[in-house]
Amino acid sequence: MARKTLANGENDTRLRGARWWKEVGWKHVFAILVIIYCLFPLLYVISASLNPGGTLTGSNDLFSTFSGANYANLLDTDYPTWALNSFIVSSATAVGTVVMAAAAAYAFSRFRFKGRRGGLTTLLIIQMFPQMLAFVAIFLLVLTLGEVFPFLGVGSNLQLIAIYLGGALGSNTFLMYGFFNTVPDSIDEAARIDGATHAQIFWGIIMRLVTPILAVVGLLSFVASYGEFILARIVLSRPENYTLAVGMYVWGTDERNAPWSLFAAGAVVAAIPIIALFLYLQKYIVGGLLAGGVKG
Amino acid sequence: MRKSFLAAAAVGLSLTLAACGGSSSESTSATSEPMASESSSAPMATGTLTIWVDESRTETFKSIGETFMAETGVSLDVVEKPSADLKNDFIRDAPTGQGPDLIVTANDATGDLVANGLAAPLELGDKSDAFSEAAVRAVSLEGQVYGLPYAIENIGLVRNNAMVQDTPETFAELVEQGRAAEGAEFPIVIQQGGDAGDPYHLYPLQTSFGADVFATDANGDYTSELAMGGPEGEAFAEWLKQMADEDVLSTSIDADKAKQAFLDGTAPYIVTGPWYVADFLAADMDISVLPIPSAGGEPAAPFIGVQAVFMSSQSENQLLAQQFIDFMGTKETQDALYEAQGRTPALTESAEAIDDPIVAGFGEAGANGQSIPTIPEMATVWTYWGGAEVSILNGTAEPVEAWQTMIANIESNF
Amino acid sequence: MSTEPTTQPPRLEQTTQPPRLSHARDISRPGFYVKLVLMMLVNAFGVYGIMASYGLEEWGVLAFLVVALIVADYVYFSKRALAGKYLYPGLLFLVVFQIYVMVTTAVVSFTNYGDGHNDDKEAAVTQIQRTSDRRVDGTPTYPVTVLDRGGDVAFAIVDDGTPLVGDADEPLTEVPDATVTDGRVTEVPGADVLDFAQIQERQDEVLSLRVDVTDNPDDGWLRTDNASTAYIAKSLLVYDEAADTFTDPEGKVYLADPDQGLFVAEDGSSLLPGWRVTVGFENYTVMFTDSRLAGPFASILTWTFAFSILSVLTTFALGLFLAVVFNDARVKGRRIYRALFILPYAFPGFLAALVWRGLLNEDFGYINEVLLGGASIPWLADGNLAKLSVLGVNLWLGFPYMFLVATGALQAIPDELTEAAVMDGAGPVRRFWRITLPLLLVAVAPLLIASFAFNFNNFSLIYMLTGGGPNYPGAPLPIGETDILISMIYAVAFESGIRRYGLASAMSIIIFVVVGLVSWLGFRQTRKLEEVM
Repeated sequence: MARKTLANGENDTRLRGARWWKEVGWKHVFAILVIIYCLFPLLYVISASLNPGGTLTGSNDLFSTFSGANYANLLDTDYPTWALNSFIVSSATAVGTVVMAAAAAYAFSRFRFKGRRGGLTTLLIIQMFPQMLAFVAIFLLVLTLGEVFPFLGVGSNLQLIAIYLGGALGSNTFLMYGFFNTVPDSIDEAARIDGATHAQIFWGIIMRLVTPILAVVGLLSFVASYGEFILARIVLSRPENYTLAVGMYVWGTDERNAPWSLFAAGAVVAAIPIIALFLYLQKYIVGGLLAGGVKG
Repeated sequence: MRKSFLAAAAVGLSLTLAACGGSSSESTSATSEPMASESSSAPMATGTLTIWVDESRTETFKSIGETFMAETGVSLDVVEKPSADLKNDFIRDAPTGQGPDLIVTANDATGDLVANGLAAPLELGDKSDAFSEAAVRAVSLEGQVYGLPYAIENIGLVRNNAMVQDTPETFAELVEQGRAAEGAEFPIVIQQGGDAGDPYHLYPLQTSFGADVFATDANGDYTSELAMGGPEGEAFAEWLKQMADEDVLSTSIDADKAKQAFLDGTAPYIVTGPWYVADFLAADMDISVLPIPSAGGEPAAPFIGVQAVFMSSQSENQLLAQQFIDFMGTKETQDALYEAQGRTPALTESAEAIDDPIVAGFGEAGANGQSIPTIPEMATVWTYWGGAEVSILNGTAEPVEAWQTMIANIESNF
Repeated sequence: MSTEPTTQPPRLEQTTQPPRLSHARDISRPGFYVKLVLMMLVNAFGVYGIMASYGLEEWGVLAFLVVALIVADYVYFSKRALAGKYLYPGLLFLVVFQIYVMVTTAVVSFTNYGDGHNDDKEAAVTQIQRTSDRRVDGTPTYPVTVLDRGGDVAFAIVDDGTPLVGDADEPLTEVPDATVTDGRVTEVPGADVLDFAQIQERQDEVLSLRVDVTDNPDDGWLRTDNASTAYIAKSLLVYDEAADTFTDPEGKVYLADPDQGLFVAEDGSSLLPGWRVTVGFENYTVMFTDSRLAGPFASILTWTFAFSILSVLTTFALGLFLAVVFNDARVKGRRIYRALFILPYAFPGFLAALVWRGLLNEDFGYINEVLLGGASIPWLADGNLAKLSVLGVNLWLGFPYMFLVATGALQAIPDELTEAAVMDGAGPVRRFWRITLPLLLVAVAPLLIASFAFNFNNFSLIYMLTGGGPNYPGAPLPIGETDILISMIYAVAFESGIRRYGLASAMSIIIFVVVGLVSWLGFRQTRKLEEVM
């Protein structure tokens, strides 16, 4: 199904020489430069992860030791449990966020109701409340909910997912709303004439046409919950419940005996799922599904 | 794909309903549940105590808990908390009734815990003399004891014997010797943490100028009268500036850098505590621990920190918690803690039995030590103190002026 | 395309039915049954919660659940409220986890909640009484036996061979017919000796029991902490419940002050701990009356705005540029490039900040020592350079997000438009400025505003990287040149060593109002943009 015409409208004819450099070649050079910028601080992390007993930033003498011991040692810690918890929490959060934000974006994009304009802005503004200082309120909320619904108490992954889903609307809805608006109303109209219900239109048509943005929002919310530790720390009170972010934070805040090498190995391993997820989702994000779908 | 978007919610919901059916029956096994009286014939107690410890102590307290269980029949639920959060979480949780029965933390927390009414007073009774006096003082406030001390720690001068073998009397001579040592890039490393500074690691040198942080009363307890101002403190400030100019002290040398320099053999000396020693030994270094030489003429007195167990005033298991406190004070427990943690026990009898040159070295280095003040005012002092030292070391402020401003700022907060 | 029509719903099936808007009541469609089952579950869950909160007397939760359940049933069974059906789940989570938190914070902001005022008054009184109880110097400890005498707990000790028993009402009196074994009372006629399990069950009674030693209360009382030994104690303070005062042995009276939540003496000294009270707008006015804040406030506010706006602009510029440049199929390996671009996003942010701090170290950091050949540039110690460093690190941390968002949004720009522009002979740069950017901005402008708000409150970056420093030397508050409003709040409310949740909450609210207002103005601008398009 590869399309011959590219996004920028030019045909994929092989370019040569100067023109290649002008239009494509420099992009490779640029990509390499950006990657160096991205990677360079992480070299410290990778170097530390290969050096048992070393410090994180104590030395500029990188890669003086090569040892996989730190990676092996991760298995003796709670790390695998944390990874599993993180995977569950972040996956559930990502799916929940995508579904709820998409539903809300659909409502804002397709229905006309009172307070629609203001509602959209309000959603975004509410998310701007500085939660950092609200840990007391969140803790009390977790306690109360935990009393009424025992499975939502302190230490519950479900509770943490629920808290993350509290932030599902907001900027995600906005991002999707903009995208939904680019899907022409005529498509809904045609389906409606054919007898489709609003739910069928939403699930069957719209959701397929907006796949790129679903993938983006899913990835963003996965990464956000994957790296979040401030709220998670309030809810998860025991090491066996920790997510990766909390566990790593705990390792990193030990003022005197921070296990930097273990920490670094953990960070490297933890980054792999994110990269893999992105590699997987890339085809949905940039696969041109929208255009193909509309042209259908 | 025809499912309503609620379907996704429903999956979650049915899971939660199932989970709720499963867990509601267990939720009554709360730790505070008193025991049924049927077991009255047994002399042993039953129940569970919850204790919060930081990551460096989890394993130790789990094994201590097993001994405690065997002796008393009470199980100890050891919950690991990040060291940075333990005290804050406790202060947040305890008033809601969700806190632990006991916490293990350094004695600096005493003032905070007492100000918030969360540390139960302890009556060490006749046993109080069996502990090192500095240790008991470190967990007391206004004459009331709040924690059971179990280990003492302080910083000392650690020497790399492969680089230098004998240590001079004064700091100035030490710097000279350190510079001359083969392979040395630094004569000595003393960690300074970025913007917040590190008055703790500089305190022995400060006291060698006679600038103690607080005045003490007749009993030796700290009063809230600041004592580090005046000519002594200013002399120390001038000296700091001089050390910065001579590249002996620098805020660029953070904990990581200091440790690495010593490990790499580019610094013959480091001022540090027992926490890094294991790493030095693991790197096969030959080290000695010595008292810190004086810079200002008087003996250098490091802060003495104490690790202690505190009992929550909100605990519903006070009786059992008290049993654990008693258990912590026994020689057997203090010995076991020493074995596991390598810190000088607070119980004199246990401490005297130790024969280890490194522990002895730290003991000697702390012989003149002063316990870290527990009065609530101390929290304010740290911030301004570190800030002033950083501005002197970085040359952004004149030493005497910076010191005087610091004193004024701290006093305005009292 | 990877999702092939096997899962394709019969969305455009030929049907003779008239068009309808909802299958809410159309029992002929399977969707109705799915919904019915879901709503049954929701109702079961809701009713369970209502019953549970009734049992726990959590009236607020109960009221909320009732309302939420009624609304849910209305929204999903009504033919109307179409938008509601799509908004309800998200809004429910929003109300519980965001709005509730905001309201609670607002409530806390009117109290003195914080260090020293951490709990209610009852807890404070109990604790003051407990800590003022001191053992009388020079008195011995006694092995104690805990008794139940006529339903009341009593203590029995042996003093000089004489068995003594007393309880809350009766001071220690000799009980000659008690049995004594090894210095401990083992049996008392007319009373039961409690074993440890029984003591444990009644531990509150046992631990709070004070048995007067003699008729004279000044002689102190007998108490125990562990039910095995007892000692003689006296209190340094006497609580008078009616007058609500504590009195010390010198006659100094501490009177409860309901405005401060403290027991205060006339000379101004007070007892620890205090308790939580409502203090009205005090936390709000502090920000404007505290002279220590007046000096740095203006420069911090300026920097906060500069930091958040520049952060958004730089990250968006780089992210967008990358998205556009690599949205080009002719670049081989762009899938890998893209995956590597998001690396900074995949590592924990606080770890990155720590590493950057090491890289920027003045004397030993990689940047000075290796890249700049031993230069000594005070990246973090000089005010302006530190600001630059903060922006640079934030660019590193933040551009992958913008890259992702821009890549996603780019897909919404119809090819037709670009193709048309190509026909008109517009070059790539012109196409970008005339078509891509304006269209993209409509979709992402709100996100840029959200990102502005995020950076406005980006406490963790500042805290981890510079700690707000370099500090203003000698400032009366530990505030530095890279401090933004939220980290200044943190310094004021927590770093001087005393936690002041009430103050911090009030400041959060004020910051929220500022950010919200600025953002709202921003939204009005983007709406105009949208209309122009």
